[in-house]
Amino acid sequence: MRILIIEDDAEAGAAMVRGLAEAGHETVHAADGALGLDAARLGGFDVMVVDRMMPNMDGLTAVETMRREGDQTPVLFLSALGEIEDRVTGLKAGGDDYLVKPYAFAELIARVEALSRRRETGAVATTLRVGELEMDLIGRSVHREGKAIDLQPREFQLLEFMMRHAGQSVTRTMLLEKVWNYHFDPQTNVIDVHVSRLRAKLDKGFNRPMLTTVRGAGYRLDG
Amino acid sequence: MGLPQLFRTTPFRLTLLFLALFAASAAAFLAYIYLTTAGEVTRLADRGVIMETRGLEAIYQAGGDAALLRRFAESVANDRPFLYLLTDSAGHRLGGSLAAAPVSDGAGPGPVWMHFMRSSRNPPDDAGPRRWAIGETTRLSGGETLIVATDVTYAETFVLRIVRAMWGAGALVVLLGLAGGLLVSRNVNRSVARLNTVVAAVRGGDLGARAPLGGSRDEFDELGAGLNDMLDRLERSITSIRHAGDAIAHDLRSPLTRLRARLELALLDVEAGRGDPKAALAQALGDADALLATFATVLAIARLEAAGATPKQASFDPSQLAADIAELYEPACEEHGLDFKAELGSGLSVRGDRDFLAQALANLLDNAVKYTPRGGAIMLRSRRRSSGEIEFSITDTGPGVCDQDRGRIVQRFVRLENSRNQPGAGLGLSLVAAVAKAHGGRLELDEGPGKVGEFGPGLRVALVLPRAA
Repeated sequence: MRILIIEDDAEAGAAMVRGLAEAGHETVHAADGALGLDAARLGGFDVMVVDRMMPNMDGLTAVETMRREGDQTPVLFLSALGEIEDRVTGLKAGGDDYLVKPYAFAELIARVEALSRRRETGAVATTLRVGELEMDLIGRSVHREGKAIDLQPREFQLLEFMMRHAGQSVTRTMLLEKVWNYHFDPQTNVIDVHVSRLRAKLDKGFNRPMLTTVRGAGYRLDG
Repeated sequence: MGLPQLFRTTPFRLTLLFLALFAASAAAFLAYIYLTTAGEVTRLADRGVIMETRGLEAIYQAGGDAALLRRFAESVANDRPFLYLLTDSAGHRLGGSLAAAPVSDGAGPGPVWMHFMRSSRNPPDDAGPRRWAIGETTRLSGGETLIVATDVTYAETFVLRIVRAMWGAGALVVLLGLAGGLLVSRNVNRSVARLNTVVAAVRGGDLGARAPLGGSRDEFDELGAGLNDMLDRLERSITSIRHAGDAIAHDLRSPLTRLRARLELALLDVEAGRGDPKAALAQALGDADALLATFATVLAIARLEAAGATPKQASFDPSQLAADIAELYEPACEEHGLDFKAELGSGLSVRGDRDFLAQALANLLDNAVKYTPRGGAIMLRSRRRSSGEIEFSITDTGPGVCDQDRGRIVQRFVRLENSRNQPGAGLGLSLVAAVAKAHGGRLELDEGPGKVGEFGPGLRVALVLPRAA
């Protein structure tokens, strides 16, 4: 994947370049908003990671400009501003996701990969399929190898998110934000318990587990 | 304050504007009076002179100069208000009540203003005071010149008096207006200057400066009270932020020191070929994460306390919020071997910040799960109190908190002895208390259901929000 990093902090930028490269991605680093906008105009990026506050042109303005010019490349905002309103401002400016600094690399990589996938599945699908797992979004039913799996509404939402991001790590914070719409960090392992309940229903009676724990990152659903 | 400065003030300028308007309307009013008095005098005189001239012309046609002179005598005898002069073509006086032709102040045809000197002597001569008349000069068919005039000196004097009175009144209006303007400006300026002194003091860094209130409850008092209130709030916020800043600095110092020590020891170990650097690094990373989480929470608390009220407030059903949080925590409770129940009242409404309240409930449930031993129970409840207040409460069957510690555990970074081996920074309840306070509510801590076997007495924490207005 080709990723454009727009970050004025040289050290943070270099760390991101290295981390994403180790995860197998190709990166281009722009040192401020204006340079980033120039780079973005060349095109060919799958995801852009944009720091919100930068000299020359801040991230919000850069992304707003790109969107006005018709560039729909998914954008992950990075910011030290973590209040709900700050997130809303970022998403309104055209960001697709918002990650508050400081962050763990695993979180950054998971979110970048989630964004790239999002573009591929843009069409309105009525069924999702991951390997032998099939989800009917209209009938609200799930089958694995033709065997019906009975899920609670929240488990269904959780599985839908995991299926849309199959093959990628999704973090606990991502699940809490995208499935439950909360932006705080519970001290209790609430998400783990929800995931393990889902896993029990999904993998029970099958030899091969589909939903696995990724050490230090979160979870992954594989087909 | 000197006069020139006074002239530049808004009230004085307004006074001048009103003065100009008032002077203009007074001028229009006086002009009307002038026209209806002086104008009327002139008009009546004009008409009389014209009628008399026409009459005399007719008499001349019939009887010539002699008839005219007879008529002059008759008129004077009958005290008719006319003056006459008849001169021949060479300008010699033939007769009449005027000694000489008066000086015309305008050119005919028709009656014009004239003035002449007149005495009551007979035959009339040029001596005596100047008098005013309106008269018409007519050339007769025989070459003679006939002047018919009416003496308007009395009327004119009267009119002059009116005009003089008008000028006087105008001057009085302007003077009184100016004086009034100065007075008003001076008063307003004194009030504004009082407020400006406060603004200057605050700008100079004295946040304690307050405007003196006169107790007159006028708009300046109101403005002063508003200014004082604003400064009170500002001072409170700044003090609160300063305290929060001090607290952050103070409380992050020890974990930072710990982190530093751990890294230093790890370095020593690695240099000596002992120990596993990976484990030390992982531990340091964990420390850093905990530190950042603490920092974020302290900041959130400080913002809530400084704001005084939550930034965004919306009306929503508190039971729906509690149900959402219950749904999130129920599996975790079960996992920890706890019996979880939710009792949610219906038809409730509350105004507040949903995200902060969700986080507050999550913090309370985190605590309950953390401190209630396996086999215990947790109850989440939402209801309307008889006072109309909305209450979220979480009751557990854990060891509880003894009376004297209940006030303390709400404070930042306070952790009780039996919680030392549990993760956490001692900020959970502080955040909940800050959320409650920012909503105008409060946090209540009580004993739980009491001692039952090995459980209890438990803790009951209630987040009480004021009734929706």
